Amino acid sequence: MSFLFGRGGAQQQQQQSSLNLTAAESELDMITDLFNRIVETCYRKCIPAPYQDGELTKGESVCIDRCVSKYFETNAKVGGKMSGGAAGR
Amino acid sequence: MDLSNLNAVERAQMEQLIEQKQMKDFLRMYAGLVDRCFNDCVNDFTSSKLTSKEETCVTRCTDKFLKHSERVGQRFAEQNAQLQQGGQGR
Repeated sequence: MSFLFGRGGAQQQQQQSSLNLTAAESELDMITDLFNRIVETCYRKCIPAPYQDGELTKGESVCIDRCVSKYFETNAKVGGKMSGGAAGR
Repeated sequence: MDLSNLNAVERAQMEQLIEQKQMKDFLRMYAGLVDRCFNDCVNDFTSSKLTSKEETCVTRCTDKFLKHSERVGQRFAEQNAQLQQGGQGR
């Protein structure tokens, strides 16, 4: 997962200034994107359309928890495979 | 997010950036929610006002989505923290 949340050990902070900022920004973008994809996907999979009420049902809540967990797992698996590392095992 | 390897100026810039992105993300979510609830709830065009049934549906749809998003946020934070911890060891 280092490609997702990695941070280089930056020694020369001053010189790397814009680089650090760029890295932090792309990390933020990646996390935001992941979050938004999970919200979208798990809503589609867990919350069926005719809305009986405005609360999450017990079943929907459990579904969401599992969905988020599985999405993360899938994300790590695919990431591991793509970088050829040991994370995909 | 770990901002510890940024200096004070960078951190201020980053915070500003985060604020801008949050605003943008909020607007994106708003637009997405309108689209979702409109598509799920409004299919009858024999009147130009929302029927009471459609209105109820839109309210429920909005409530449900916001609660959904909040719950995903909680689980997301947990998973992300776990991941950060696991990654620290290597």
